[in-house]
Amino acid sequence: MPLYELGVIIDPEVPPEDETSTLERLQGIIADAGGEMVKQDTWGRRQLAYPINKKNYGVYHFWAFDVGGEVLDKLNFEMRTNDAVMRSLILNMDRELRRKRKMDAKMEARAAKKAAKAAAKAESAADED
Amino acid sequence: MRPQKKRFRRRVKVCRFTVEKINYIDYKDVDLLREYTPTNGKILPRRVTGTRPAFQHKLTRAIKRARFMALLPYTGN
Repeated sequence: MPLYELGVIIDPEVPPEDETSTLERLQGIIADAGGEMVKQDTWGRRQLAYPINKKNYGVYHFWAFDVGGEVLDKLNFEMRTNDAVMRSLILNMDRELRRKRKMDAKMEARAAKKAAKAAAKAESAADED
Repeated sequence: MRPQKKRFRRRVKVCRFTVEKINYIDYKDVDLLREYTPTNGKILPRRVTGTRPAFQHKLTRAIKRARFMALLPYTGN
């Protein structure tokens, strides 16, 4: 199961119990599908860079979870139909990070090669002495 | 006496992501993205910042995501 990252903005004017129930429903959808929550991050009330639906603030939540891809439609549908949700974004982090892992490996290889070269140079310099 | 020629030394532009080995640009990293969006909200071209093409692509994507999530403005004032 791929790792997904969800970002969601909740309407701050909605009563707090609605907010928690919305979040719990989303967590329920993930849990029902056998998903596993990896990270939960709450930024809390934050000023939006531009007004959305004439509101200037939003409550930010970011989650990372492991779940099968078929759940995404359900999650998106839930977030689209729920009035408490102002914006949401789901990213497939496996796909996002694939390139990073490749580049990290490449950089590591390059650094190792450089170190080996430097070591060889030092050795040859020592031989000359 | 010869009039002294004004000399400009162009500042060397470096790609920050190459130097700091940032291989993934997260849209939630607003402080980093802010450096590439002046107050008018536009994305600075790599001609100006010296960012490598591969990272410029990632940067624009991250900035556009951040805009969608209202972390960065589409337009400034």
